[in-house]
Amino acid sequence: MALLSLRGIGMRYGAVQALTGIDLDVTEGEVLALCGDNGAGKSSLVKILSGAQAPSEGSMALDGDATRFRGPQDALRRGVATIYQDLAVAPRLSIWQNVFLGSELTRPPFGLLDKRRMAEASRGYLARLAVDIAEMDTPVERLSGGQRQAVAICRALRWDARIIIMDEPTAALGVKETAQVLDLIRRLHAEGRTVILVSHAMGDVVAVAQRVVVLKGGRKVADRPVATPDGALRAEELAQLIIRGAA
Amino acid sequence: MTGFLTRYGAALAGVALFCGFALASPVFLTAGNMAVVFKETAFLGILAVGFTLALVTAEIDLSVAEVASLAAVVTGALVHGGQAPWIAICAGMAVGIACGAANGLAVTVLKVPSLIATLGTAAIAKGLGFMLTQGVAFVGRWPTSFTGLARGNTAGLPNLVWWLGGVGLAAWVLVKWTRTGAHLVATGEADEAARLAGIRTLSMKRLALTLAGACAGLTAVLLASSLSSAAPGMANDHFLYAIAAVLLGMSMFEPGRPNIPGTLFAALTLKVLGNGLVLLGAEYYWQDIVLGTIILASVALSAAGTGRAPFVKKLNFRTGK
Ligand SMILES: Nc1ncnc2c1ncn2[C@@H]1O[C@H](COP(=O)(O)OP(=O)(O)O)[C@@H](O)[C@H]1O
Ligand SMILES: [Mg+2]
Repeated sequence: MALLSLRGIGMRYGAVQALTGIDLDVTEGEVLALCGDNGAGKSSLVKILSGAQAPSEGSMALDGDATRFRGPQDALRRGVATIYQDLAVAPRLSIWQNVFLGSELTRPPFGLLDKRRMAEASRGYLARLAVDIAEMDTPVERLSGGQRQAVAICRALRWDARIIIMDEPTAALGVKETAQVLDLIRRLHAEGRTVILVSHAMGDVVAVAQRVVVLKGGRKVADRPVATPDGALRAEELAQLIIRGAA
Repeated sequence: MTGFLTRYGAALAGVALFCGFALASPVFLTAGNMAVVFKETAFLGILAVGFTLALVTAEIDLSVAEVASLAAVVTGALVHGGQAPWIAICAGMAVGIACGAANGLAVTVLKVPSLIATLGTAAIAKGLGFMLTQGVAFVGRWPTSFTGLARGNTAGLPNLVWWLGGVGLAAWVLVKWTRTGAHLVATGEADEAARLAGIRTLSMKRLALTLAGACAGLTAVLLASSLSSAAPGMANDHFLYAIAAVLLGMSMFEPGRPNIPGTLFAALTLKVLGNGLVLLGAEYYWQDIVLGTIILASVALSAAGTGRAPFVKKLNFRTGK
């Protein structure tokens, strides 16, 4: 059974039909890449998956039960965490503040913040991602792009998210940092978490995803495994899918 | 070392200033003069704490001084009219809180930027203050149960210092040690990220602006109590001082962020500076010139990154960047 499934999802913004008839089944534990050119509808779909907006048409099911998210917080509570491209972290806040943003830990008797426990827990999450940062009080803006993505992922881990949606996580990163983020995704996969990776970067997709879904003009034009009987999907083929809607 | 200077440089300059005045003026360190400085710091400090709380959520409250003036005349009118002090005090606080709440609604519901919304509130408060008093001050022999709030000492310290300490401590605990405080900070630092993380950012802004109003109300009650009088516009001299205290405070302790200890220490520094200038024979207008310079310099020159604070970005001060 699919962990999350969409049927006939459509999204209209006034006169603009951003998505049309999207069917999608997300399998537990897979890394699913969501590709498409600018304006293809990726962000619209992410917003629906993350609870940030309700679809104009269609239905959604989580664990086979029909559902609708009332907002990002609702989605988060039900195990769907989204790491938005530019909004993932608060740059001037510390690592632990970012990891526990909106879900801070307190301790009795006065219900004051338990900063030590949050710092320790943050260190633990980072260790699970094999990211080594000494000081949990460091403002996130002083971290490298890859480390920042790690902090954002830690927030998803803090919620024990089953599905982690990442919107263009490598878009602003250099080669080395991109490799680091791909490594983070592999670790999430190894932990058994489901990752939906929105990306333009064909190389990244081929490197970490097991399946790729391509959108074009708001429709799903391809849905196929990355590994095929005659070898892996090549970046050039994927480029053709994205540009022409067919390989 | 540079880290130390960024954190404490401005505070050390304040200490140096204090020592300088102590050496240059024989009057400066006398108990009488120190009492004046600390009392003045209390009014300024409480008002500036309110401004700081609003600024923590990246909202600017330009109405604090006019709201305090209005609350002061409301309080004064009631005491003067023979009402029980507690009624007058509650009324003064209520005026502050109501104005703060109105600012909060204007910003979060009507979506008017706080810079403009609070300017509007300030003008309305000013007008109401004159309407209420017809421009005349309330002065009289008010009951000591009212004037005793701000006058006199408790446990060896002026009551006003206790008020400032209490408000400062409460605000500091709120911002640094509570979940609500963490949400206020997150709202100011990264509005959208905070909202997506489930923080009710609009409520946080309303809360911060309401607290700023409450601080203005308290400042008003204490001013009226201390002076046994209330006149329209009586808190207005604190306006530039409050802004300067908060901005200068952002260069101390937690560089680049509005923070309560910084605000309090900066308030004291500014009052020391103003007092010292007067003692050394500088004309009154120098205070404004110095204040203006501090306001400009604390954003333009700050090694601490005040210029990168979210509220500055929101105002788009840094043009071309
Ligand atoms: N809030 C919106 N209002 C109006 N049109 C929108 C809105 N969001 C997206 N669109 C339109 O929907 C289409 C798909 O956009 P989007 O989902 O952002 O695509 P992608 O993320 O793949 O670039 C585009 O034509 C875009 O202009
Ligand atoms: Mg997009």
